[in-house]
Amino acid sequence: MPTAVSPHRQVKWLKLDPSVLEMDLVETSRRVIRFIKEYVENSGTEGVVIGLSGGVDSSTIAALASRAIGGDKVLGLMLPEEETRCQEDIDDAFKVANQFGLKTQLCDVTPVLGSLYKAIPVFDQSDRLCKGNLKARIRMVYLYYYANKLNRIVCGSSDKSETMIGYFTKWGDGAADIYPIIDLYKTQVRRVAAYLGLPKEVTEKPATPSLWPKQLAETELGVRYEILDLVLYGLEMFMDTEEIARQLSIQKEVVDRIKARWLSSEHKRGVLLGPKLGYRTVGADFRLPRRMY
Amino acid sequence: MRKETRVKNRVKLALAQMSSKRGDKQENLQRMEKMISESRDLSAELVIFPELCVTGYANRDQVYELAETVPGPTTEKMEIMVRQKNLHVIFGIPEISSKTKGTLYNTAVFIGPDGLIGKYRKMALPTHSVFEEKRYFRLGYEAAAFSTRLGNVGLCICYDLFFPEVIRLTRLKGAQLIVCISASPAVRKEYFEILTAARAIENTAYLAYVNLVGVEEGLQFWGGSRLVSPTGKVLAKAKYDEPDLVLCDVDFGDLRPAEAFIPTLRDLRPELFDQLKKEAENV
Repeated sequence: MPTAVSPHRQVKWLKLDPSVLEMDLVETSRRVIRFIKEYVENSGTEGVVIGLSGGVDSSTIAALASRAIGGDKVLGLMLPEEETRCQEDIDDAFKVANQFGLKTQLCDVTPVLGSLYKAIPVFDQSDRLCKGNLKARIRMVYLYYYANKLNRIVCGSSDKSETMIGYFTKWGDGAADIYPIIDLYKTQVRRVAAYLGLPKEVTEKPATPSLWPKQLAETELGVRYEILDLVLYGLEMFMDTEEIARQLSIQKEVVDRIKARWLSSEHKRGVLLGPKLGYRTVGADFRLPRRMY
Repeated sequence: MRKETRVKNRVKLALAQMSSKRGDKQENLQRMEKMISESRDLSAELVIFPELCVTGYANRDQVYELAETVPGPTTEKMEIMVRQKNLHVIFGIPEISSKTKGTLYNTAVFIGPDGLIGKYRKMALPTHSVFEEKRYFRLGYEAAAFSTRLGNVGLCICYDLFFPEVIRLTRLKGAQLIVCISASPAVRKEYFEILTAARAIENTAYLAYVNLVGVEEGLQFWGGSRLVSPTGKVLAKAKYDEPDLVLCDVDFGDLRPAEAFIPTLRDLRPELFDQLKKEAENV
């Protein structure tokens, strides 16, 4: 009588399906909260300033920061402008702020932008990208002014997906003192957000940097975050693009495009770059421990 | 260095799981002194601190300013402390060679009531992922086991645990209690929880593992210090992520039944080490 054969149960260590991005939500949240708490405590500052857009990333940061240091030490700055203003997003931002006891300040940056459009000699209204980056950098100016004035640090809300593919404005929304969720992919941020009790309209909201009207991240990137995150995870794990494409049943060209975007955006994530001329060079081999502030 | 004669069969350890203030030796020595006093009050005989606890882990280029010779100023301060308390201490410090000005080691120091017993220089230096130890430290070349009145105690540091041959060598030098001091970030926790047990079992030795806690450069040291029995059982465990002081007992009388049941030392095949050397040269 033939021996009964058990079904093949081997689990491939590196199989690109959504389960590879699962994590212990309790542990992850605790670690991020501890990171924020220790940093702020050791920085000698009064708390943090965050840009609160009503999106899932900044809302998650709001929740984590409030748990780490108390909502009264978290200032959520809402910085809408006329062209991309969305009342629903502002309402969501206030909802999150109330839920976690944040202080808030709403500043419409339209007048400032208007002045800049007039003042910059080569300003081009039709150049959507340049104009969009200007908006992001003006928001950074506001965040840092408040941080300076109130003796706080700027807490960034960049996630790993956007950071890896360079989907942010250099020295704009990419500028902050700490980045508590920078090691979480977008789909992981959404899970953490849900775990923290953020409203569904926030956790499931399509991502947008809001640099121009109706801008949606997934449309612009050409791929859903559920796929993008797995591609990026594969790249993180040193997998070759052919294997990533095969496992995800997508075209290799799509993976290659994402990889090219990842590699070419290192200038946005990198340290200060200059020619090496001295004994120890900032940005290269001048390695100092980072003081807290 | 002083050699002590073994008289004890049972030893009380204190796993002193601390967080270090990076770059502040004075503060860290104060923290250590407090934990030594608390341990003494609880009748501990050997207090074990984490890797590089005197200075903190990620000092990068600043480590050159912080490193000391061993013996040196910190060793002398600890000798005074330890003599007053009449116990033994193991701790981690960046050591500068007494022969050069720029050659450093990642070192574990062992001090008893009569002074410095010995030191161990880390043999496996992680230089991957977030680690850059080979950038700053020279490799150690000798396993360490010291015959003391507490028993024969071996020393190793953190990444050494990933190398069975390092711990095997420490065991074969006579160590029956192997002390592993560590500065392990949380992403490596699961590995260490497996490896501490594995190294204890395959050497039928007690393994005391003491890890840092706290946050440096985004690295979160996970704590989880523990005493593992010669059969791999976790006998005592500290908290995760928070400073802690755990008292636990080593009973060397338990080694014989462990060795009889898991006779790996008896069954060692020395000739395999020649093959190992040959194959390892050709990875």
